[in-house]
Amino acid sequence: MASTFKPLIKASRRTMFYLFVVSITVMIITPLFFLISLSFLSTDASYSYPLPLLPSLSENYELTTGERGYLLSLEQRNGEYKTMLDTDDMEKMAVYMKTRLSTPISIPELEELTARVDHEGTVYFKRRSDLLNNYYTFFQITRDAGPAFIRSLQIAGMTILISLSIGGLAGYAFARYTFIGKNLLKFSTLFVRMFPAIAIALPMVIILAKMGFYDQPIGLSLVYSIGSIALTIWITSSIFMGIPESLEEAAQVFGATKFQAFLRVTFPLALPGLAAAAMYAFLGAWNETVSAIILTQFNPTFSVVVYQSLVGATGQVNLAAAGGMVMAIPSVIFTFFIRRYIRQMWGGMTI
Amino acid sequence: MKKFSVLMIIALLGAALLTACAPAETVTVIETVIVEKEGETIIETVEKEVEVPSKTLVLDSEMFSPPAEQIFFIDEILKPFEEETGITVTFQIVKGEDMFDRLTAQQATGHVTTDMILAFNGRFAWYTDEGWMGSLDETVNTWDDRSILPAFDGQAVVDGTRYFVPISADVYLTIANNKALDYLPVGADMDNLTYEQYADWAVAIAAGENEGKVCMTGIPMKMWIYQFSSSALAYGLPGAGNPEPAFPNLNAPQTVKAWEQWAKIGAGDGFMPTILSVDNCVDFLMREEAWLSVTHNARVGQVYASNETQFTVGPAPMGDTAIGSIAGAHGLGIVEDSANVEAALLLLEYLTRPEIQLKMNKGTGGFLPVVAEALDYLGDDPTDEIIRKALIVLDNANGSFLPVSDFQDWGAVKQLFDDVFSEMVLNGDGTIDQALLDAKQVALEALRK
Amino acid sequence: MALAINTERRRKIGKQIVPYLLVLPVLFYYIAFWARPVVQQLVQSFTSLEGQFTLNNYIMVFTDLNFLPALRNTSIIVVFSVTLEFFIALLLALLINRKFPGSGIFLFLTMIPMALPAVAVGALWKTGLTTNGWINSLLTYLGILTEGGKIYWLAGSIWKLLALMIIIDAWQVIPSIMIILLAGLQNIPKETEEAGYVFGGNYFTVLRKITLPLLSSTIQTAVILRLIAAIQIWLIVIVIVGFSRMPVLVERIVYYHEEVPRLTISPAMASGYTIIVTIIVSIAALAYLWVSGAFRRKRKEV
Repeated sequence: MASTFKPLIKASRRTMFYLFVVSITVMIITPLFFLISLSFLSTDASYSYPLPLLPSLSENYELTTGERGYLLSLEQRNGEYKTMLDTDDMEKMAVYMKTRLSTPISIPELEELTARVDHEGTVYFKRRSDLLNNYYTFFQITRDAGPAFIRSLQIAGMTILISLSIGGLAGYAFARYTFIGKNLLKFSTLFVRMFPAIAIALPMVIILAKMGFYDQPIGLSLVYSIGSIALTIWITSSIFMGIPESLEEAAQVFGATKFQAFLRVTFPLALPGLAAAAMYAFLGAWNETVSAIILTQFNPTFSVVVYQSLVGATGQVNLAAAGGMVMAIPSVIFTFFIRRYIRQMWGGMTI
Repeated sequence: MKKFSVLMIIALLGAALLTACAPAETVTVIETVIVEKEGETIIETVEKEVEVPSKTLVLDSEMFSPPAEQIFFIDEILKPFEEETGITVTFQIVKGEDMFDRLTAQQATGHVTTDMILAFNGRFAWYTDEGWMGSLDETVNTWDDRSILPAFDGQAVVDGTRYFVPISADVYLTIANNKALDYLPVGADMDNLTYEQYADWAVAIAAGENEGKVCMTGIPMKMWIYQFSSSALAYGLPGAGNPEPAFPNLNAPQTVKAWEQWAKIGAGDGFMPTILSVDNCVDFLMREEAWLSVTHNARVGQVYASNETQFTVGPAPMGDTAIGSIAGAHGLGIVEDSANVEAALLLLEYLTRPEIQLKMNKGTGGFLPVVAEALDYLGDDPTDEIIRKALIVLDNANGSFLPVSDFQDWGAVKQLFDDVFSEMVLNGDGTIDQALLDAKQVALEALRK
Repeated sequence: MALAINTERRRKIGKQIVPYLLVLPVLFYYIAFWARPVVQQLVQSFTSLEGQFTLNNYIMVFTDLNFLPALRNTSIIVVFSVTLEFFIALLLALLINRKFPGSGIFLFLTMIPMALPAVAVGALWKTGLTTNGWINSLLTYLGILTEGGKIYWLAGSIWKLLALMIIIDAWQVIPSIMIILLAGLQNIPKETEEAGYVFGGNYFTVLRKITLPLLSSTIQTAVILRLIAAIQIWLIVIVIVGFSRMPVLVERIVYYHEEVPRLTISPAMASGYTIIVTIIVSIAALAYLWVSGAFRRKRKEV
């Protein structure tokens, strides 16, 4: 009896399991979905309620004579038309239709339409939406995005390098050796994270500038590393602690030097921890603006140029969403690759 | 495979490190320079190798930060200047407090790269107190084709020396969603609105829609004192510096009249339910969560531009004596140690030209020009209308400057107004708690230096 | 013979020096880039306007009307968010460690929230929590809210806001705890757990008796790092409700640095709050480490 039910129980357990996984995924994805969707919406749509789930591919317009010139109305989801703009300035209308409604139109096309309005009265027309409009606008106002992007990648790379090398060594020491003052030392490395960094951002930048790093953003990685060294120490030491010392000893028995044993045996096993620490270091460096904005002038980091574009983006939350998406892309790509190292199989296989 | 990827990562990091350590760039640029030769001015192009930082004028600004304003200012205002003079302007948006930190670091280390700043008048003192700004008198005194509005000289001129020139002003205007016009009290008119009518209007909307629709900027912490005091000034409270009672005040008869109106809105649930979290009304007006607001004219301009057919704009409401408004401005100052003072002075001259003043303030969404002659260029399109209404406010307003330095802790002064707001206005029954007001006034006096 | 002892001793001394040599770069690094501003802040916190030694700055902070609310709000956030985030992160890490089909992509998805920059997070939650925002829109589409019905997320009591803050913070922070735990889980040999099953353990006994003890140092790291960061939460609070609406400790520092930097009392308040926060964080961290047994002599490796 029991044996006939077993596959069934197993299958239902499996279904439950996946149901659980899916529901967690939904919780994570829903906000992301709206963020992404928002970055493609026109300004008008992004301030409507209820917020559309997806951007519309085209918009239907009504153009008629108005008090000031021509009255433009936009068809709503309920089929009614909402008045948008009343002007005789065709350039203004073209700009409005591009920036507010994400449906670019040329002035001659508009003039053709108004000529028809003069003859026929009311004209209805349809325009395709430019879904990438917010992204275009973002890059239009974000000057020197390319060089700033490279700079930020360099800073993030340097930060990873510094914090993993300095922090990794100390982490190894705390995991493998017993020495006087160990607990105290290990605890005090955390002080850099306990002290509110925001309170000393300005003096730290002044120190950097005095060292010759004024407007040399790469110097920022020195500051960014401070926090991530501490993280790296704690993460790596806990990982090293979990790797049996006997493995290294076994390697040494087979003739490897201690260093070789470390490199061949311990290091690969510690990769998940190093990857997690690298992740922290990358994100910290990539997203930081407080110090970067003070230190740089002609050579801003990417986070700084994004800040400059979006700090005043009230009334244009769709643009802020697009800028945020652009800024998130490298982090997401980095996440995609680093995940393989965080979750490697016992025995050193990656999937 | 794994070893390979690890090597790859290390190689990438190494490459990043190497490129990062490359020396500071110098570039060859073709520069257009104005050269005076034998009495005539000609424009020459010269090819030379320069260090990047030295060839451009850097303008740090906390104004024009909305993307549309940035685009307009750079493309329509700065570009003609660059073509006219051959000077390249690096325009960088920085928040007020970050700009101050930037200059602090620059002054502390001697790397003065910011040549010119465009700052909010409330913050002029940050820079003049430190002595970082250069005197502008020599240039400003030569102007005979333009007169700068003297309203902001209190902060721009220190001990007889001018360090800042305001280029844009900001006053309060009333903006209403056209859906709210159905509830406008009988006899009221957006162009001559009183605070009594405003309060009745707000209550009527809330009753009709079952939801409060009044938005106010920066409740509770930052701006309520200004919003409220504008209404108190409208009921005849004298501005700061006058004999007591004067701004800031919580319990004078004039102030109480103003409280009565706000308490009426509160008792009628006229405020947006989420009012305590609202920082800036633009988003809320655009989302139609709010229908009615008295807020800064540039922000009003921003909302109005989003759909001119959907909103109606009027001056700030009146009390029984005047329109009350605490005006703000943004002004240009030049860093004394800058290497590009001459170029900066050229830009200052350019941005205060009457026609540029109007073009700039209008194109960026409805700021108020501060050069009187600019108003001769006003036309009659909707943005001109906003500017005209802002002018009415400025002309008729009982204004005040902010006596921040008279108090030990301006933040605590603001807090007193917020306390009254949450206790008596938002959660009150519409009556005036004179005892509360008197107690808060005692606390306010205690904060005076 | 004497020589042999000598080398032996030398090797021993050498071995004792090695760990210090490995830790030394960290200390140099901190001294070079970090120590001076910190000492300056410490000195500042004991200096009056006239440049004299004073305790007045601390008295000012303790009597600040916002201090107790800030302390209370911070404590609530810390207690709830660290607990909630840790358990969800552990659950996710254990789940992903089972390497079911699709677990790779699941890991990637769960990690995305931590990769978002502040500007995206701001745009996301501001448009979400506002009354005419996407959360209410979604609830309307799902039929949970009737047409015209609205939930005022940002109105109402401070408790509601605290709960919102904890949930939003969790959404973004859980992945960063999870990846540490997951990294730790990688190092637990499958054989050890299998042995547990062989001796008749079920999933939960193996988890409790074998997996979690082996994971203990990783758990300590994950919790201590989160604890330290949670006490210093401020950005999300400012993004969603602005300054002073729901004071938390580090938000007070930022307030005096950024909102009112030029008040006479600002440097005193900022430095006072800074040192007090540091002390609170240190005590909390030490207390946690003490309770979790990090200072006990480590037992021999398995």
